[in-house]
Amino acid sequence: MSILETKQLHKTFNGVPVVNGVSLSIESGKITSLIGPNGSGKSTTINLITGMIPFDGGAVVIEKGTILSRIQPNQIASYGITRTFQNVEVFEQMTALDNILLVLTERNVFSSLFEKHTQYHLDIAERVMKRLDIWEKRNDMVENLSYGQRKLLEIARVIAMGERTDGETKVLFFDEPYAGLFPEMVKLVTTILKELRDEGKAIILVEHNMDLIRELSDYVYVLDAGKHLKEGSVDNVLSDQQVIEAYLGN
Amino acid sequence: MNSIIPQIVANSIIAGSLYALVGLGFFMIYRTVKFFDLGYGALTAFGGYMMYWLLTLLSVPTYIAIIGTLLLTAMLALIMNRLVYRPLRARGSSNMVLLVASLGLFTAIQAIIAILFTSQFKTITIRSLQETVTLFGAFITHTQLLMIAVTIIVFIGLSVLLRMTRFGASIRAIGDDEEVAKIVGVNTKNIVSWVFIIAGAIAGTAGLLVGLDTGIEPTMGMQLLLKAVIAVIIGGVGRMYGVVIGAFLLAFIENIAVWHLSGEWKDVVAFSVLILFLLFKPKGITGA
Amino acid sequence: MDYIIHLFILIGIFSILGLSLNLVIGYTGLLSATHAGFYGIGAYAVAILMKNTGMNFFIALLLSIVITVLSALVIGVVLSKFKDDIYALGSFGFAIITYGLMLNLQGVTRGPLGIPGIGRPELFDISFSTNLTFLILTLVLAVLVWWMTRYITRSSYGRVLQAIRENEKTIQFFGYTTYWYKLSIFMISAGMAAIAGALFATYITFIDPSSFTLIESIFMIAMIILGGLADNRGAIIGVIIMILLPEFLRFVGFPTEVAAQMRQVIYGLMLVVMMLYRPQGIYGKFKF
Repeated sequence: MSILETKQLHKTFNGVPVVNGVSLSIESGKITSLIGPNGSGKSTTINLITGMIPFDGGAVVIEKGTILSRIQPNQIASYGITRTFQNVEVFEQMTALDNILLVLTERNVFSSLFEKHTQYHLDIAERVMKRLDIWEKRNDMVENLSYGQRKLLEIARVIAMGERTDGETKVLFFDEPYAGLFPEMVKLVTTILKELRDEGKAIILVEHNMDLIRELSDYVYVLDAGKHLKEGSVDNVLSDQQVIEAYLGN
Repeated sequence: MNSIIPQIVANSIIAGSLYALVGLGFFMIYRTVKFFDLGYGALTAFGGYMMYWLLTLLSVPTYIAIIGTLLLTAMLALIMNRLVYRPLRARGSSNMVLLVASLGLFTAIQAIIAILFTSQFKTITIRSLQETVTLFGAFITHTQLLMIAVTIIVFIGLSVLLRMTRFGASIRAIGDDEEVAKIVGVNTKNIVSWVFIIAGAIAGTAGLLVGLDTGIEPTMGMQLLLKAVIAVIIGGVGRMYGVVIGAFLLAFIENIAVWHLSGEWKDVVAFSVLILFLLFKPKGITGA
Repeated sequence: MDYIIHLFILIGIFSILGLSLNLVIGYTGLLSATHAGFYGIGAYAVAILMKNTGMNFFIALLLSIVITVLSALVIGVVLSKFKDDIYALGSFGFAIITYGLMLNLQGVTRGPLGIPGIGRPELFDISFSTNLTFLILTLVLAVLVWWMTRYITRSSYGRVLQAIRENEKTIQFFGYTTYWYKLSIFMISAGMAAIAGALFATYITFIDPSSFTLIESIFMIAMIILGGLADNRGAIIGVIIMILLPEFLRFVGFPTEVAAQMRQVIYGLMLVVMMLYRPQGIYGKFKF
């Protein structure tokens, strides 16, 4: 039973199709990986599903069969979707703790102005940040954190999204979460992704490192030049001749 | 009632030419360095006052006064770039920092002009330019004809410069991506300096023409600047002919509105046009 | 002594303006130049209500806050769609439209003639007619505004404002509709500016549009950029420096008109220097 599907997603930039009829089916409790050579449209697909870029054609189907032909960024949280960003989008001139608290507090103007759950939110933030080993950095300005710490902070933020009270987060997109991480951080992120899967979350992973893909993926989609090339279990897909050619081809 | 229409058309064309002229210089800077240089407004006032200083106070021959004005304004533009914009840009400052800094320059220069020349309204007179001609029933002074002619010349000159020269290609390259331009061997510092020099000279020209047409006061820069900004935005930021279309559209709307309301409402009308465009057609007429 | 009290009253009034503008510029990162307009709307509302209906100051104050907040709603509905430099330019537009209305709606505002003879506040038997009592009233209201800004900036709401400043696009992915935040803080800030306007109108007892120009907004922007964006202490320090500076200039012996212009030169240059060397201001935590 899929929790999120895309049907024939299309996106064209300046007349060039970058995502060309991509249909995915994402399931809860599984890590679904999106792989493909550079420029194959992996990140763009994520950006289309999460409303960062409007799509030109196709649809996204969320839980209970709701079909969306238009998605705004500020809606995805209410659909139970959250994400990290390829270029690490954290709030630089704020503390690490504030970056986490932001996704825990009330969304509405009035309720956020008169919010009274400070301690409750602090407890969640502490738990989440300790899980990613960045609790010591909570009072540092994010602009002073290392690249790796910022990536961990982004992952912490995604987990915190699942802890807020006004809605469950069920679908988590990770856009190259490993890029630029030290080995011990890589291990930590791998553990976290597995834990989230075991908690029943649907994980969508974009990653270049094939060892990590092999270790983590329950299901793999291969994109090439914006098109759906292959899908299946890791072993089947990675031994496929077409897939190997796509990677070696260019 | 009909007899007033030729005059409204003429006034619109005159005002449109002025807005286009100021707008073209502003646009040159924006096209290259991608921030709104509010200091440009002060350059127009500076131009007007340099003309007044040279021609009226020092009584130098007209053509020397004109050349002197253009040189001095261009030089001030160059200095502003060297001392403020270049270091800020080199540091990768945001557009907001540049906007605030240019606002500071604008405020300071406007006040320095007021200290040196007082805030009193002043006129600059060249006898031969004050004569009027009648065209299709509208009165137009020689100064105003000159204003229209200069705008046409500047527009054609800039078009040729941008489209047909290596210099123009470099400007476009910097505007598209400064880092890439640097890599492919464009001397970006040099080109940006020249852009400020040219834009400064255009601001100076506009300032001295306003001085000859209506007169000068230190606050004139803000008026001209804001009209230029409106022209650039409603024209569609990104295309030079858009600036000209935007300028004339603004001028016609203003003058038609003033025909029904009174002159004091001009600014309110102009900025309402800006707001309406930002709301309903944020990419402007040319939609770049 | 009266002179010292006078300066403190000015510092109190401008502290309210600085603190409230800091909510929009410092915390939310929106460079608004409309603040002087709201200051003016507040002042005019109180002046007209008190003069025409003999209304008590404190009731007029409450009504003027409502009127100003509603004006901010109308303007903010448009402005909140934008960010960065377009937001700034749009706010310039609204500043000029507001000023134009004050100048031209002569039936309401008496235009350039201004409104003289506005009474001082009274509450039951207490009259705030002496400068000392007026100072106390000013300080009470300033402390109230200080407390409100402190509450707002420390709330969850305030944290969202800062996230909008840092990256408006990103915060939307986490379920925030930033438009409402931008609109609401703009209205709150305008309401506070109305308090300053009401105090100004009843302190000076005369108002005309010249106190509420775009340049006055730029002066307020300079105050908080100098003191420090996103910091209440910074805003107040900026205000103190900017208010005392021209007084100092007068002591040094500049004639009044020159001193007024010198004030502009100094705060213009101050903006430039701050952007070049300390973009977060003396105390501030945030740079554009």
